[in-house]
Amino acid sequence: MTIRLGLLAAVLLLALAPLGLPIYAMTLLTEALILGLFAMSLDLMVGYTRLLSFGHAAAYGLGAYAAGNLLLHTAIPLVFAVVLAALLSGVVAIGVGWVCTLATGVSFSMLTLAFAQLLYAVAFKWTAVTGASDGLAGIPRSAGPFGMTAFQGKTGFYYLVLIFLLLAFVLCRALVNSPFGAVLRGIRENESKTRALGYNTRAYKVAVVAIAYGLGGLAGALYAPFAGFANTELLYWLFSGQVLIMVIVGGAGTLIGPILGAGFFLLVQQYLSVYTDSWALFFGLVFIAFVLFVPQGIWGLATARLGRAGRR
Amino acid sequence: MDFAGFLITQCLNALSQGALLFFLAVGLTLIFGIMRIVNFAHGAFFMLGAYVGYSAVHLTGDFWAALILAPLAVAAAGAAFELGILRRLYGRDGGAFLMVTFGLTLVLADLIRLTWGVAALEVPAPASLSGVVFILGEPFPIYRLFLVAAGGVVAFGGWQFLERTRLGLLIRATSQNAEMVHALGTDIRLVRSTVFGIGCGLAGIGGVLAAPLVTASLGMGPNAVIDTFVIVIIGGMGSFAGSVIGALLVAFVQVFGTYYFPDLALAFMYLIMVTVLVIRPGGLLGKEA
Repeated sequence: MTIRLGLLAAVLLLALAPLGLPIYAMTLLTEALILGLFAMSLDLMVGYTRLLSFGHAAAYGLGAYAAGNLLLHTAIPLVFAVVLAALLSGVVAIGVGWVCTLATGVSFSMLTLAFAQLLYAVAFKWTAVTGASDGLAGIPRSAGPFGMTAFQGKTGFYYLVLIFLLLAFVLCRALVNSPFGAVLRGIRENESKTRALGYNTRAYKVAVVAIAYGLGGLAGALYAPFAGFANTELLYWLFSGQVLIMVIVGGAGTLIGPILGAGFFLLVQQYLSVYTDSWALFFGLVFIAFVLFVPQGIWGLATARLGRAGRR
Repeated sequence: MDFAGFLITQCLNALSQGALLFFLAVGLTLIFGIMRIVNFAHGAFFMLGAYVGYSAVHLTGDFWAALILAPLAVAAAGAAFELGILRRLYGRDGGAFLMVTFGLTLVLADLIRLTWGVAALEVPAPASLSGVVFILGEPFPIYRLFLVAAGGVVAFGGWQFLERTRLGLLIRATSQNAEMVHALGTDIRLVRSTVFGIGCGLAGIGGVLAAPLVTASLGMGPNAVIDTFVIVIIGGMGSFAGSVIGALLVAFVQVFGTYYFPDLALAFMYLIMVTVLVIRPGGLLGKEA
């Protein structure tokens, strides 16, 4: 109950944020929400199905490049371009998921990484679509539909991101609480047992990979018109690792935790960059510490405390 | 151009490349075989080998001394990490190890950057190995021939070590049934630390040997670890012979692919991996699916 009220308050605060925050902070917040959406999508795989992906940047990059091309070369309105790009990422993921689920456990992780690196290499060669090492620049926020321009400005775009994040959150929440989600948790706890109960676990895994990539692609598709560019960095293995850090530090298997983790990551990175360029050293150590000592993450720890307090 | 000469030099190129990849893959597969751990930091240890090798060459003025000292230093670093951190994680699932070693990758890469800077560092090949020989009229660097020999020696030596020595026996036994080995009175924890150290040390040897060829640079770690993952997936996780076959296969595909289809070379490597996975999900010589 406390948590539900807290969530409502958080949404209200986010909705009112543009009234009080300076432009610089709004830009940061918009990026945090995009990254939060991205981290939450990975949580479906990592937290709920124990499919540890080391290549989730592939989803983000696919979405970003797809949206970038649609916005640069067609007159499709921003909102539709973003949704189309997310769908494309999800459809590609059916193939990726099919191949990667040939293996299980750590081999699955290595395959997801290999696939993301393949895309990274392709992005460097396929100049016509990706702009090679220059990337795509000047990606516009196209108007419409019906000549609507509400999402073009900084504040309007922030609300667009917020709406997509909330929709995605509601979708994920419904998903993990549905019978489908129960099967995913079954796979997480004991895949052979779930298979023995008659569920085609491979099909469920491919489905969750596709959904996670679709939502991850949505995040990437929002990033392209947010930043105005898309480059190969978005497909790099380091980015896949970073989003995994956000999920684990925030709290895997909680949906909210990874969103917080993304915000935490971005804030610390901004703060650190003032003093040092050794963010990797810092996050490497933080990540090791969390995996060792706080595997449930910040949100997992907080809700456990709240739960105990509630029972008292 | 003489086609036979071209073919032979390209094959030797591939063999030397395969030797370097083998040093990486065999360490990774050895560690996995014993500990069921995938060491994400393997590329970082490879890179550490190259940088420590650079410093050792400059301190001692002798490449051969560096080739012994640097891998020992890398092995010590690996064993220390196993003792300090990994040991706390036994009993957790494989993902935890992958994540912790990923964290170590970030830390090591940043420490290397802070210690040696961002510029690529040249490591000269020893004088006795610089220069070229002519094979059927084609010039070929002697250093690459040396790499082929070194890879062959270590592959043969490693095989004999596993088959004929007491530690080799322990390692093979532990990979089959760690609890039983423990029950029979061997300190498994010592075997694990040793194996993790040896595996990292092998990556370190690869790093020192690669340095004169490609310079020591911050990009070498990530590239190396992904190639290595592909190799052990193809060859079979935990299989010694699989790592030899996988390394050679990937090296030949890389060298000939780059020559004939420069734009598709990389895709070939992944295509082979996917084909192997579809036919044998555990890899060519792997036991587990």
